[in-house]
Amino acid sequence: MQLQYFLLAAAALFCIGVYGLVTSRNAVRVLMSIELMLNAVNLNLMAFSNYLDAAVIRGQVFTVFVISIGAAESAVGLAILLSIYRNRDTVDMEQFNLLKW
Amino acid sequence: MFHALAQSSWLIPCYPLLGASLSLLWFPSVIRRTGPRPAGYVNLLFTLVALFHSTIALSACWGEPARFIQLPWLTVADLQLSFPLELSPTTLGACTLVTLLNFLVQVYAIGYLEMDWGWGRLYALLALFEAGMVALVLCDSLFFSYMLLEILTLGTYLIVGFWFNQSLVVTGARDAFLTKRVGDLVLLMGVLALYPLTGSWNFSELALWAQSPEAAAAAPLTITLIAVALICGPLSKCAQFPLHLWLDEAMEGPLPTTILRNSVVVTTGAWVLVKLAPVIALSSWASSFMIVIGSLSALGGSLISSAQVDAKRVPSYLTSVYMGIVFIAVGSGQAEAALLLVFTYAIATALLIMSIGSVILTVISQDITQLGGLWSRRPVTGLSFLVGSAGLVALPPFGGFWALMALLTDFWEQGQWGLVAVVVVTNGVVGFALMRMFGLMFAGDRQSMTARAPEPIWLMVVPMTLLTGLTLHLPLVMGWLGILPEEASWLSPLALVLLSSSLAGLGVGGFCYVFPRVTKPGSLLPKQLNDLFAYDFYTPRVYQVTAIALVDILSKLTDWLDRYVVDGLVNLVGLTPLFSGEALKYGNSGKLQFYALTIAFFVAAISLYMGWNYLPDLLSSPLPLPV
Repeated sequence: MQLQYFLLAAAALFCIGVYGLVTSRNAVRVLMSIELMLNAVNLNLMAFSNYLDAAVIRGQVFTVFVISIGAAESAVGLAILLSIYRNRDTVDMEQFNLLKW
Repeated sequence: MFHALAQSSWLIPCYPLLGASLSLLWFPSVIRRTGPRPAGYVNLLFTLVALFHSTIALSACWGEPARFIQLPWLTVADLQLSFPLELSPTTLGACTLVTLLNFLVQVYAIGYLEMDWGWGRLYALLALFEAGMVALVLCDSLFFSYMLLEILTLGTYLIVGFWFNQSLVVTGARDAFLTKRVGDLVLLMGVLALYPLTGSWNFSELALWAQSPEAAAAAPLTITLIAVALICGPLSKCAQFPLHLWLDEAMEGPLPTTILRNSVVVTTGAWVLVKLAPVIALSSWASSFMIVIGSLSALGGSLISSAQVDAKRVPSYLTSVYMGIVFIAVGSGQAEAALLLVFTYAIATALLIMSIGSVILTVISQDITQLGGLWSRRPVTGLSFLVGSAGLVALPPFGGFWALMALLTDFWEQGQWGLVAVVVVTNGVVGFALMRMFGLMFAGDRQSMTARAPEPIWLMVVPMTLLTGLTLHLPLVMGWLGILPEEASWLSPLALVLLSSSLAGLGVGGFCYVFPRVTKPGSLLPKQLNDLFAYDFYTPRVYQVTAIALVDILSKLTDWLDRYVVDGLVNLVGLTPLFSGEALKYGNSGKLQFYALTIAFFVAAISLYMGWNYLPDLLSSPLPLPV
């Protein structure tokens, strides 16, 4: 097992997250894709902290922060989503384009 | 006393200028109550003063060498422009002639324009012409001659457009201005190109230069081009082929101004030409160009004038004819004969047009085919017409004969039969044209237009009879002045040829029109030929399809280019951001995910760009990171 494999896996995961973020029409899936990207970042942090900073493992601390921020962000995101849903009766991302040109 | 007056000859053009500025006071919009007549009287007074001054100055400098005066005008860097005056018997004689004719014409105009309100304008313009012509004949500089010619061109525009509520007057004034302007502009090219060669514009110094070895050393092509440009100014001024239409259309102006224009204004071009003769003589090509132009105008003009039906247009083409003969004279190096011809022509033609005006004023119609039978009722006018004709064609002992003799003697001796033939034939056709006009106006039965035609008011008859007397005495005056050609004699074969051509022309004209033995003389020629002459070789049409069409198309093209290409380019610069803004705003789709995609795309692109150099390392040694 090498650091590169972790990094490549995290990068792949990040790309999948970006792909999901851009292409999903359901707003919940967009939030889920953001979580996926956060997880990819976490994987990176953990890998670096294991392989390069095993003594102090500062990366793990950051990971904990990221997880907690991610949880908070999901909570706020879902709340926003709910309030949009109550107003517009849909979670289709294509419908939220009031701010165009 | 005499000497002082000769020395102050530069004042002569100032009198009419003063008169012109004073007559502005009697414009209908300035003096609303008392009418414009004092404008005429004031100008008459100033013309009389100018006439006296020039006569006294002429007698003072008679027989003395030419004296030159310089009036400084402008000094800039190394160019010194001063207004040189030549005070010689020739120039002061021309001054006297100009002021005398002006005086007679102004008296005539008082009678002729009795029923007109525009005296202020008319007399101001007549005085402007007088001042311009006097200044031109006194002026000894090509540059200032050009300036004066341009001022006279503007004056022609204003005076032809005197009754500007008539549409033909407006187009006539336009053509007169533009046609003369074209010639003047080409003349300006010649004037400007001459200076680097000669270093002076003074006619006397130009003549000296033409004799000098530098002139002989100059490139023949340059000299030819300059000489042709110098000819082009007088060419349009003297209404020569092909710039002759303006004089025909300028007949729309008031008749007194026509007298003046045809007798003296047009001859100012010939005057400049005579003064330039030494320079033009440097190029044989330019001389033959002048002879060709002059011959075409003389022959063509005489044919055209013998086919006109308008009383004013017959003498108008005769002006082209005689100026054409002056061109021939100058082109063949006979400047003296040209001046003599101008002298006799001016007096005779002024008399001719005065008598025509005297007919027109009382019979209204200018169509000579509608006139007739005036001889018994209008003997003074008829006699004046006959005397004017006799003074114009070569009929001894009158003035025109001696002038043509002076011209033709050289041709005859040198055996230039072509030029002799041109002048002799022209002379005959002119005789025919004048006799035809006389027959149509004065002989035959009275027609409805001429049923009741009295002689006009004394103000018109007196100048006419005075000029008749002058024309009759012209050979005596010429003998007294010593300008009668000495070598010419009554009984030489040349005189007989000239006389027989005049007699033939007058005889045929009399045979057809005065004692009509032919019922319809006009039908003797084929109709096409008749129309060709009557419509002036269709010159308006020729102008329309050549010069006017060219300028019109070019101006439309440049207008289009300016409107659409030049403006279009600038507008395109404005429209491009406008439309690109309009188009690019659709990048703001309002979709969050699209923004995310944009960010992701550009992050990837920037990363690729910044990591481009490291990409080969990455590919050649995969996974280089330390474990």
